[in-house]
Amino acid sequence: MPETDNAQTKQMQTGNPSRERILERIRTGLRVVVPEQPRTQANSERVIFEPITNPLDRFQQECVANLMECVLTSDFAASAQHLAEVLESLPAGEIFVQDDPALRRLLEPFAPARAIRWSNQGAPGEASQATVTLAESLIAQTGSILVSAACGGRGASVIAPCHIVYATTAQLVPDLATAMSGISQQGTFDRNSFACVISGSSRTADIEKILVQGAHGPRRLVVILQSGA
Amino acid sequence: MTQTAAQRFLEDAAVKSADLVHREIIRRGMDSYDAAHLKGRARIKDWEAAREKCQEIKREAINHLDRYLVQFEEKVVARGGHVYWAANAEEACTYVKDLALRFGVRTVVKSKSMVTEEIHLSPALEKEGIKVWETDLGEFIVQLRNEGPYHIVTPAMHLNRGQIATLFREKLDPAIASDDPADLMAVARRKLREAFFAAEMGISGANFLVADAGVVAISTNEGNGRLCTSVPPIHVVVTGIEKVIPRLDDLAVLWPVLATSGTGQGITTYSTMIAGPRQPGEVDGAKEFHVVLVDNGRSRLLADAEQREVLHCIRCGACLNICPVFRHVGGHTYGTTYPGPIGSVLTPHLNGIKEFKHLSYASSLCGACSSVCPVKIDLHHHLLENRRNAAEAGVTKSSERMIFRMWRAAMVRPRVYAFGGWSMRKALRMLYALGLAGTVVDPMRVWNRYRAPVPLPLQSFRARWRKDRAGN
Amino acid sequence: MSRKVSLFVPCFVDQLLPEVAVDTVKVLRRVGCEVDFPEDQTCCGQPALNTGYWGEARPCAEHFVRVFKNAEVVVSPSGSCVSVIRLFYPELLAHSSLREDAISLAGRTFEFSEFLVKVAEVTQVGASFPHTVTYHASCHGLRELNLRSEPMQLLREVEGLKLIPMVRSEECCGFGGTFAAKFADISGAMGNSKADSVDAIGAEFVTAIDPSCLMHLQGILGKRNAAARTIHLASILAQQRGAGSSPQGLAEEKP
Repeated sequence: MPETDNAQTKQMQTGNPSRERILERIRTGLRVVVPEQPRTQANSERVIFEPITNPLDRFQQECVANLMECVLTSDFAASAQHLAEVLESLPAGEIFVQDDPALRRLLEPFAPARAIRWSNQGAPGEASQATVTLAESLIAQTGSILVSAACGGRGASVIAPCHIVYATTAQLVPDLATAMSGISQQGTFDRNSFACVISGSSRTADIEKILVQGAHGPRRLVVILQSGA
Repeated sequence: MTQTAAQRFLEDAAVKSADLVHREIIRRGMDSYDAAHLKGRARIKDWEAAREKCQEIKREAINHLDRYLVQFEEKVVARGGHVYWAANAEEACTYVKDLALRFGVRTVVKSKSMVTEEIHLSPALEKEGIKVWETDLGEFIVQLRNEGPYHIVTPAMHLNRGQIATLFREKLDPAIASDDPADLMAVARRKLREAFFAAEMGISGANFLVADAGVVAISTNEGNGRLCTSVPPIHVVVTGIEKVIPRLDDLAVLWPVLATSGTGQGITTYSTMIAGPRQPGEVDGAKEFHVVLVDNGRSRLLADAEQREVLHCIRCGACLNICPVFRHVGGHTYGTTYPGPIGSVLTPHLNGIKEFKHLSYASSLCGACSSVCPVKIDLHHHLLENRRNAAEAGVTKSSERMIFRMWRAAMVRPRVYAFGGWSMRKALRMLYALGLAGTVVDPMRVWNRYRAPVPLPLQSFRARWRKDRAGN
Repeated sequence: MSRKVSLFVPCFVDQLLPEVAVDTVKVLRRVGCEVDFPEDQTCCGQPALNTGYWGEARPCAEHFVRVFKNAEVVVSPSGSCVSVIRLFYPELLAHSSLREDAISLAGRTFEFSEFLVKVAEVTQVGASFPHTVTYHASCHGLRELNLRSEPMQLLREVEGLKLIPMVRSEECCGFGGTFAAKFADISGAMGNSKADSVDAIGAEFVTAIDPSCLMHLQGILGKRNAAARTIHLASILAQQRGAGSSPQGLAEEKP
């Protein structure tokens, strides 16, 4: 009896009169048990995806397939050099950069020439020409970058026409399964309200199934991938 | 007398299936989907194992739906989000509408969500003077045309670039000169950018609700889903209760399978996970985060153990794409939120078997849908079960019931059957000799409308067999 | 090897397409089978089953089981009817006194090409058919019985036969039993799409393992005055070199 009272009070508080009713209907419905289908082979024994033997090769291949640019650099200087080339190719205007020591060093040479908005000053604006961020990890299987809210926020990877990711080969994980268990193990969602597996530039095929690169998000996704840690 | 859903379906189907321009547009679209889908499947080492794994995940989720929903809710609430349980469309719409009014929302941006179509959320908000923008390109196009989505994944696949360019000129900018898809996308992008930054509320659906992490997973290619959930200060997720899955790890197989079945991609471009409102120290994100869990008939379907697995559906659209009926009548003819095989199975459960039973008969039971379903829903057999349920509920035509009672009487009496067959052939032969094929007196006139008459041999096989044996 | 085979001739084949059954018998005998035709057989029950009248289909199924329950093996030149017996009889007769017989019979009933390749283990039946042929993969044979390679293996062994692949060969022809009457416009459009695929190849014949698809398709092709004709797999396999008879399409009748 007290339990019912509690539940009712809770419903009143949350303004959620149908909650218990729906749960009750679900529980009643589930009383009729569907027999589990016998399987000929235990699922765990079957390999669904081809194991990734060379994550770096696979990542680079998938980047091409995903219409994203991936440049392998040997050291910090080469990364800075490549970043310079990408930024020079962009129209004039502000760029948004995740506030991170490594990115601050990388962007230092541009500070005078270009307006930089650091993520500690707020989210990127409509006028941002590019965003530069880190990634949580890179996924070889699908040619994806995993970003979280910590990588400059939610808008950092979607608002500007160009998104540049600075990462190292040590961040490569072979497949989605590893990436997802990484999220669970590292408690990514204990610290972040957002994460996203990004696999290429924004696109649509809504008109005549014809692929158009650059829909509402970035037309360009550039990964500057530096060897080593 | 108002037209029933069945009559409307028959009329629209007749028009659409004879529309060769429509057929060509759909065929071209489906051919390119077919090619991408095959290629995508080839990238997965063991497609059958992938399907079985996804089926197993969804079965586990649905068979413990109460537990996983509560787990999901706890996680979301712990991060400062709100979860509202809506028994029906009205409750869901009222909740979102009240929320919008409470926060003085004038503009809403929406990412693609079939559940919001199902509950007619946009009209409910527009009645309050709130401007609602569909932001997925396909949805944006059909919204401008004041029609519903033609297809659950590609809402505007029934239109060609010329029709879309004309529409954009009419509704957006008379100066649009090009009908190139990239240019048309650019027009929509510019228009919708304003909306994204003006909107006080973003509404999205969910592809999956992850119980163990309290995460809403949303897959989009265009990035509109990202903007809807990143920029406006309020984010509302409207989703069906069946979308829950047990673990974050499950996405490692569900995402590739969804993308492969939906578009042939290895994974959707933006596989987004939202775990609640903006947290302290974060740069951006909605301050208000609400998840509306919609039942609207789903718990009723859950109670039907035979068809419970219909709730496994991940809305990939593969069954629509392969369905020869869909390919000929198109998405709008169904007159339902969910068209194609999944819609024909689901709609009688959600909206009533009496009014929508015809959809379960509008199939040749070819089984193509079941063969492609990534979560292995036995769709065509569920269509058959719906037919059986309709017959058992006594909502089928009495003339039809009578015919099958007579049929049954003949089929258990071999002589009656043989005589019936013989006299039928003889009667038809006489009729056709008189040139009456296809006229009102021809019982085969429906057949003969599109086909040459069936052959009418003088002797049945059994007669020949008996004669043959007598001769030996 | 002599094997006793009981032939099930679907009702519409019996009444409208007897040649298919005659040719089935010819081929079965040629590969050494002793063929029996239990004369009390009628229909498998599919028309009622697929229209939802399971209460009407049930006695029909029971009748079928009674007629065939003592058969060693049942063979039928229709993937669709066999799929009813194999997949649905156990469920349809779950509460019938004939349940055990139905389950056992479901395991002993085979589609014609399936029987030849999987049970009799022959693919070369001594057929000769010097024509261009395209194959339509009938839905129920393909998806309910998983018969994908069996008809192909048989066709490849036919002397002189040139097999031309059909685009969208696995797309339904639009028959679907009562569907063809209830939704004639859709069924007709689907049939015409199939006929377009047949026309596009320019083959003389289109074959399949399901006579119902072929009957439908023949009607569509006939209405269009198309050049291609339909022919059941059994009728191709029945043709032999120097036999002197011209191939019989479904539309024709022997005098």
